[in-house]
Amino acid sequence: MLQGTLDMLVLQTLALGPAHGHTITHVIEHRSEDVLQVEHGSLYPALHRLEDRGWIASFWGTSENNRKAKYYRLTQAGRKQLIAQTARWEQLVSAIGRILKPATEEPR
Amino acid sequence: MRIFRIIQRRARSLVHRSRADAELQREIEIHIQQLTKEAVAAGMTETEARARAVRNFGPIDPTKEKCRDTRGVNWIQDFTQDLHYGLRILLDSPGFTAIAILTIGLGIGANTAIFSIVDAVLLPSLPYRHSNQLVAMFNVPVKRPDAIAGISYRDFTEYRKQNGVFSEIAGNTFHDLTLTGAGEPIIVNTADVTPEIFPLLNAKPLAGRTLLPEDGKPGAAAVAVVSENLWRSRFGSSSGLVGKSIALDMRSFTVAGILPASFRYPEGAPRQDVWISVLQDPLFGPLASQPRVGLLGAIGRLKPGVPLAKAQAEMDTLSARLAKEFPDEDSGLTIRIKPYWETVIGNVRLALLVLLSAVGLLLLIACANIANLLVSRATTRAREIAVRIALGASRARIVRQLLTESALLALLGGFAGILLAVFAVRTLRPFLPSEIVQISSIHVGGSVLAFALLLSLAAALAFGLAPALIATPSNLQINIKEGSERTGKRGGQHLRNFLVIAEISLAVVLLVAGGLLLRSFALVTSVNPGFDPQNVTEAEVSLPQFQYSTPQQWRAFSNQLLARLDAQPGLRNSALAAPLPMDRQGQANLEFSIVGNAPLPRGKSTSANYQTVSPEYFRVMRIPLMSGRFFSEQDSPSHPKVAIISETLAQRYFPNQDPIGRQMRFGFPPDTNVSREIVGVVGDVRDVALSQKPGPIMYVPFAQAPLYGGEVVVRSSLSASSVAAAIRQAVYSIDKNLPVTDVESFPNALGQSISRERFRTFLLASFSALALILAAIGIFGVVSYSASQRRQEIGIRVALGAQRADVLRLILGQGAKLALLGLGVGIVFAFLLTRLMASMLYGVSPSDPVTFGAVAIILFVVAVTACYIPARRALRVDPLVALRYQ
Amino acid sequence: MPKPSDLLQGTLDLLILRTIARSPLHGWGIAKRIQTLSGDELSVGQGSLYPALHRLENQGWIRAKWEESDLGRPAKIYSLTPQGRKQLERELQSWDRLSSAVRLLIQNA
Repeated sequence: MLQGTLDMLVLQTLALGPAHGHTITHVIEHRSEDVLQVEHGSLYPALHRLEDRGWIASFWGTSENNRKAKYYRLTQAGRKQLIAQTARWEQLVSAIGRILKPATEEPR
Repeated sequence: MRIFRIIQRRARSLVHRSRADAELQREIEIHIQQLTKEAVAAGMTETEARARAVRNFGPIDPTKEKCRDTRGVNWIQDFTQDLHYGLRILLDSPGFTAIAILTIGLGIGANTAIFSIVDAVLLPSLPYRHSNQLVAMFNVPVKRPDAIAGISYRDFTEYRKQNGVFSEIAGNTFHDLTLTGAGEPIIVNTADVTPEIFPLLNAKPLAGRTLLPEDGKPGAAAVAVVSENLWRSRFGSSSGLVGKSIALDMRSFTVAGILPASFRYPEGAPRQDVWISVLQDPLFGPLASQPRVGLLGAIGRLKPGVPLAKAQAEMDTLSARLAKEFPDEDSGLTIRIKPYWETVIGNVRLALLVLLSAVGLLLLIACANIANLLVSRATTRAREIAVRIALGASRARIVRQLLTESALLALLGGFAGILLAVFAVRTLRPFLPSEIVQISSIHVGGSVLAFALLLSLAAALAFGLAPALIATPSNLQINIKEGSERTGKRGGQHLRNFLVIAEISLAVVLLVAGGLLLRSFALVTSVNPGFDPQNVTEAEVSLPQFQYSTPQQWRAFSNQLLARLDAQPGLRNSALAAPLPMDRQGQANLEFSIVGNAPLPRGKSTSANYQTVSPEYFRVMRIPLMSGRFFSEQDSPSHPKVAIISETLAQRYFPNQDPIGRQMRFGFPPDTNVSREIVGVVGDVRDVALSQKPGPIMYVPFAQAPLYGGEVVVRSSLSASSVAAAIRQAVYSIDKNLPVTDVESFPNALGQSISRERFRTFLLASFSALALILAAIGIFGVVSYSASQRRQEIGIRVALGAQRADVLRLILGQGAKLALLGLGVGIVFAFLLTRLMASMLYGVSPSDPVTFGAVAIILFVVAVTACYIPARRALRVDPLVALRYQ
Repeated sequence: MPKPSDLLQGTLDLLILRTIARSPLHGWGIAKRIQTLSGDELSVGQGSLYPALHRLENQGWIRAKWEESDLGRPAKIYSLTPQGRKQLERELQSWDRLSSAVRLLIQNA
């Protein structure tokens, strides 16, 4: 997977509304029909990084099962970043797509 | 083949490391040149362009290094590197290394020593061609399926002629003959054989020839084959021995040939010195014509491809035919065949297998111990490992590194173990019970070394893998951040606890097994044999047939000998008996019937062990008289025949009656039907083995039932050697050509009769002691490690006012918990496993509560004591120091 | 311009395999081809290209030979092995799967 993709997916998920870490994982996995698996080992560093850059913000709330949980939400900067990253991602993927395209295959 | 190409490539990159580097350099150079060309094309100057290209390319060396890494997964290079590294690590902590090597050395040493015995005894390739075709054959009376009887010479010839399943059958029996005329008279172990035995066993003479079929015919000239040993020791390796004549029991035999020392038959018996035709034997020769006398054992070679069952079936048919043809002699006899190998191994098999499993357990304990040490070290080394991984080493690479270290340890330990084994085998050999065959062939040889090596490598895997995996957890970043204290704590601690529990439970199994044997051995040795062996010396006197062929002569000799012995000063009293209790040549078991009782139903019979003794015998042996009288000089051939019976016989066959005055019919052939009056009842005697309950015994006066010799027993307060000298002198004063053999103090002889028990008890007890020590070290290691890890916690507790007792309880409690868990598991296993050794025990049940209880207590106490030292050390910690320690 | 580190290993392998699947090429040519085909969107850093080539060669997916080249001198030319072709198929599939999954997520927002 392209690096930076996870950041984008997290931002994208939070664009739907605030969520805590577990929900983010769940949403990504569920909406990608389980094709994308998010490792906890990489999710939390990503959240940390995004918060650091001011793209997301965290607050304490109560989870579904009445536990205290840390929630994340998208900031304004984060929303801009999401748009930029999505565009960038599309760009990269289409660039890769051009290389992979079978139409340009030359005779071997 | 892809794999082939990869190997080829790696091999090439190993050999041409520099060339591969040079190629890479060239490749990179091209790349940079292209970059430069582009820049020049864009209008830069040559130098500018070059500089920019190099800058754009980035640092070259890390790239090269990375390439080398991917290609240079060349394990030989890594291996030598690992080896260096491992050696350095081991040398850095000599204490750890020494303990580990010693532990593994003990484990492997014990295993190798026992394996070398097993290798020689249980896995022998018998030194005969196609030895798996060889079977032993013997008669089994239908009435007593556990007994073994000989085959009469006539039946043997019938079997040999009529069977279609054996390519050859040979008969043999054994007899001690007296060799005279070659130095002092000596007894030579003589094998009475039928000549077929030599081709059957593929015996090639060193000189001359072996026996030919003609030599086995009745009336043939008397010829003998002698052993290389006898030839060297008695005939000075004389080259002219073949064709000369020698005297055996004063009968002249022409030496036909010499057999090399490498020929040994039968296995597991004393070496034979002389082979003659059974028909030439002074005692057995005449008996061969009596079809009632089961004279021979037989060995056969199956025709190729004939299975054992088919041979047995054919022999069954033949034996049934013989029983029909000769009902007088052969009814009630069946023939059994058994692989020859089985008869050689005999009953040492179980004992050896138990020993082998015991040392196996010991090795497991040793491995658990080392695994423990390694896990402890692995957790403290976690930071070092994390750094290495951060620097680009893969997990597999680190695991390999750690495994190399443990393999190094194991091989060093294995080497120490082999040294120990060589030493142990040398020390143990004299203690081996003589019935364990081929003692001389027990040595640390090639297969044993291979075994030790394999064991070392298996051990390395066993104790190296878990710690290696623990030390390299998959989330490494955390390791670097959090340092060594916490890392691997979870997994490490759990694993260490598990190992200690396993260790303790294995030790329980070993200790229980050892304890049971010890208890049973103590019972055997403390058992009252029914007589008093102290201050009794025994000696065997055997009368050669040529001089002493009639019962009258035997009787006269015994009277003369006893009179001379009585005349010797210092000998309190003496007697003659045949056989003695625990006699190496076994006991004589004869059928008897009681006069006046209704005849027994067909197919039923009563039997008892039989001894012929001179009057003083009971006083010499201090066997108590229960009722009636002992034998006296009056019980001579001219007087009524009498007998004395043992208490068991009296109780079993004369319940609620007084046996004195009753008559019994029994006797050594040909006196089988002689009726004898019971004149006395004496105390029971353990005559077969100390561990076997006394059975019924009947005694007859030697004068009324003489034999061609017997055992002299003398009670005297003199030293055994002066008694031996006195006996020899008495015998030689009658006939200086008579050999006196097996002179021994009775307690010694008894000791030998339990040498097997003593040997395995000694070994298993030492193994369990080792296991106890190893388990103690193991629990000590775990508890002291965790105590040192908990320094901070303990410091805080002490600072917060915890009492010494609390801290002690905390640490001892941890050890006690492990010990109890281990005990619980171990006792269950021991309970299940010790029943396998039930047949090795005497007077102790395999689930003996005393042994189990004692083992539990000992282990628990040892375990808690082992925890006490780290607990004390933890208490001595200054709370401030402990708090700062982090 | 994306930095080389923007491409994770898996993607780089895929690109290299795909590129030499068309025709055997030297290292320089591979880098150049990827850059051109992607319309300068992707540039492969030499620091990751050569290690990747070595790794692929070790896996047995590509093989190399020193041959005369369009550079006017012998160069190390990489070509795909049959195993490499299978690996390329696998990686193409996994790429399709993953990228469409991500696309699904960002487009349904």
